Parts: sequence; structure tokens; C-alpha cells
Amino acid sequence: MEEFDHEVDAPRGATSREWEVFVREDTADPLTHVGSVSAPSADIAREQAAALFARTAVTMWVCPADETHRYQSDAATLGSGKAGDDATMSVDEMESETLRGENR
Amino acid sequence: MISVSKLLCDLDAEGDGLRYDAANESTKRQIRDEKQRRPVVVWNVTKQCNLYCDHCYAAADTEIADGELSTAEGKSLLDDLADYGAPVVLFSGGEPLVRQDLEELVTYANEVGVRPVLSTNGTLITEERAQSLKDAGLKYAGVSVDGLPERNDDFRGVDGAFEGAVQGIENCLDAGLKTGLRYTITERNAADLEGVVDLLTDVGVDRFCFYHLDYGGRGTEIVDADLTPEDRRQAVKRVCDMTREYHDRGEEIETLLVGNYADAAYLVEYAREHMSDAQAQRVYEYLRVNGGDPTGERVADVDYQGNVHLTQFWQGYSLGNVRDRSFGDIWEDESNPLLTALRNREEHLTGKCADCRYAEVCRGASRLRALTVEDDLFAPDPQCYLEEEEVHGPPPFDTGENSMAGESSAD
Ligand code: SF4
Repeated sequence: MEEFDHEVDAPRGATSREWEVFVREDTADPLTHVGSVSAPSADIAREQAAALFARTAVTMWVCPADETHRYQSDAATLGSGKAGDDATMSVDEMESETLRGENR
Repeated sequence: MISVSKLLCDLDAEGDGLRYDAANESTKRQIRDEKQRRPVVVWNVTKQCNLYCDHCYAAADTEIADGELSTAEGKSLLDDLADYGAPVVLFSGGEPLVRQDLEELVTYANEVGVRPVLSTNGTLITEERAQSLKDAGLKYAGVSVDGLPERNDDFRGVDGAFEGAVQGIENCLDAGLKTGLRYTITERNAADLEGVVDLLTDVGVDRFCFYHLDYGGRGTEIVDADLTPEDRRQAVKRVCDMTREYHDRGEEIETLLVGNYADAAYLVEYAREHMSDAQAQRVYEYLRVNGGDPTGERVADVDYQGNVHLTQFWQGYSLGNVRDRSFGDIWEDESNPLLTALRNREEHLTGKCADCRYAEVCRGASRLRALTVEDDLFAPDPQCYLEEEEVHGPPPFDTGENSMAGESSAD
């Protein structure tokens, strides 16, 4: 038995909440994960997902990604690197590094 | 990506358009093989940016966002892309230069055999960074400028952004790095187009990519600021005219159009009206092999959190995340009905696209704009600017075997 003790806990949302979308294309089919949509509320997530999948789906679920705990049987695909290390400039650094044509 | 300079200025009677189409078995096989080609992958390495542009599809922020892929994860992603056979990775953002490990990632992409290119606002390319990027093996930098100084700075939300970008371009050119312009055409800046090209050719730039606005990210707020279809037609005509004028003067600038494959249809019409039927046919043949809008096929996007998108502009929907599953597994998973439908979109297009004579070279242009404006994934692109009489009728030339294949690039 796999332990499924590797949780993929990095956030999925880019601009607003993210919603995992599951569809069934026929009542006899399994429910399948088909990606995620960004939306501020479940209602809008439903609209967004329907615009993409209602053509063929008979069942559609939208689940908040931040409440969807993802576990792998093995370490996550990208290895265990921690999200958001200190590789990125601070706001002050960006400000002072930005060229504005001073030395042209 | 449609090369205007190639289609209107370089495709002569012996040009590669016709050669490529020589309809013998071996060429057909080659065309079928081309269809298997892997996508160019845009990787938004960060959501953070030092500017605040109105039309930013990534809705970038000045603050670091949660969940950015770390250096180690980024390298694993590049391994993943190399394993899958992605030919090119386009480092984008946010502003990719805010990541101080960018050079390390560029070096790594080179090592694993994925060609690294860059999309940047240019204002962080100091002499030192231009040199370190060149040393890391960066192959190309596309620098965004969206109008003459006043207009550009207004658009980008920072005074001096134009001058800063030009300084960044000069630093790239001095370091020996191939550099081009990215210009997103909107109602506000369409008038500046020739002025910016004149100004930057003086600086030494010889490659100009003109982007149509796609309606994702912050862009959705400025759908209203986009050109009308009529004005778009004029702007594209001006790009065509300008390209030919430069070439006539012996200045062989490269000009490209990105983000609206109705341009493919228009270029055929343009060649017919302003050049010759023979030229129009060459243009058509070339574009037919090029294969129309590449969304979900020849271009892909991975955002700063590892979410995979159908194009860099389509951030509101993600196919999956590379922290859960390899890029290749996600991209190949045609149990996703949306992916399958997009890859067979000619069966689903409605309205004037369904029987458009240019459907083979255009494929309905932007599905994202249709979705955003019409709330219908397979409606005609609202920014199609072809005239009614131009889209009706049989294909303009007898083309033999149907083919959807060809080159793509996303820089
Ligand atoms: S009608 Fe549709 S397929 Fe034809 S050129 Fe316009 S967008 Fe493209």
C-alpha cells in the first residue's frame, strides 16, 4: 500500500481563488480532473468552467483548490525545492536597479 | 507568429514556401512529422515586476507572490521540458530579470538543450546583466516598448521607462546579444508604430514583433481600449507597407505579427492587392504549412507557480500543475475534452469561421478573445477584421492535401 504521504501544498491561484474542475462526459464515465479555473467565487467558477466544458459534460464539480489537499505516492515531480526562495529582488532592489535612461 | 518581412519581401519564386510544398511523398511525410513538434514553452518565472503595465496578461505585482518555483524546481522543470523535447523556453514574467537566478536558469536550459530566449521590459538590463545573460548563453532578448516615450511611460506606469528600455536594448546589443522589439498594438499607441521603429532602427534593432492584444490578465480590463477591427486592419496594413519600404531602401528589418491569425488571411489579400496573384499564392502556401493559431499545440505556458496554460495569455484556466505531474504528461493528456476540442477546432468553429475560405491558415484566430467577448469558445474571434466578401467562397488557391503543421516561435 502506498502511504500517500507527500503533500503538494504549493498554492495554485494566480490572480484570485483557484477552483479544481472535474467533469463526467457520460453518466457511466468516471469523474475526471480537467484542470482548474481562476474565479473569486464558486458561482463564477461554475460559469468559467461551464464555458469550457458544458459542451460535452453531464456532470461538473468545482472544488476550491486551497481546500483540495493533493498527495502523491512519491515525491512531487519537481523534487522538494521549497517554493519562493530568496532568488527574487526586493521591492527596494527593483526600484534602485530600474534604468530610466539616466546615463544615456 | 507570422513573419511579414519573410512573406512579403523574401519569398520569391524560388522561396521556401513553394519548395516546401513540392507535393511528393517525402515532403508530405515531412509535413506530417512537423505536426508532432513540441510546443515552445513560455515560462513566467515570477509574477513580480518593477513596472505596472495596463495590459499585463500576468497581472504582475511589485511584491513577490506566493509559490514561485524555486531555483531547484525551475531546473527540474527545465529537465522536464528537455525530456519532452520542447525546443525553446521563453523566460517571461512579471519581469524575469527580478529573479537573480535567471542567469543560472538560462545556463541550465542551454545545458539540457532547450534554447533559452527572454521577454523583458528591458529596464533592469544593466551592462553587467546584459553581459552575464550573454555569457549564460541567452539566444535572444525581446524588449517591450509600447509607444513613443510619453505614451510608453504612461502605459507602463513609470516615468523614464522608455529611456530605460532603450538603454537596456543598447546594453544587450553592446554585449552582442540578439535583441528585438515587442510592441503590443492598442488604440492608444497605434499611431506611434512607425515612429518607434524608426527610432529603434537608429539604435541598431532590426527585429520588430507586433502583438495584438489578447484578452487575458489585466488585458480584460482594457478590451475597450483595443483597436476596432477596422483600425486593426489599417495598423496591419501599415506594418506591411513599412516593411516593404524599409526593404526597398535596402534596410532588411524583420517584422512579425503575433496573436491574431486573421493576419494570415489579410496578408494573402494584401499580397493579391498590392503585389501579384503569384505572390499571394506563395504567401498562402507558406501560411498553410505554418498552420494557423497555435494555442494548445505549438505554444504552451507554465506560470510562476507551475500551472500549465494553453497560451501565456490564457491564465484563467490551467490544465494542471508541474508540481503534480510532468509537463509532458499534462500536455499529452487528451482525456481532457477541452484540449482535444482545441486541437480539432476546425470541427467546432461556428459562424463565419465555420466556412471561412481562410480557415486553414487562420483556424478561427484567438479562442481566448472569443471566450472573453462572446462567452463562446468556438465563436469567431471578435477581432477578425476580414471583410465579409473576403471570407466567403472556396479556398483562394488549390492546395492539394490538407495540412496543419509548421513552425512556431514565441519570442
Ligand atoms: S472568419 Fe474566422 S477563420 Fe476566417 S479569417 Fe476571420 S477569424 Fe479567421
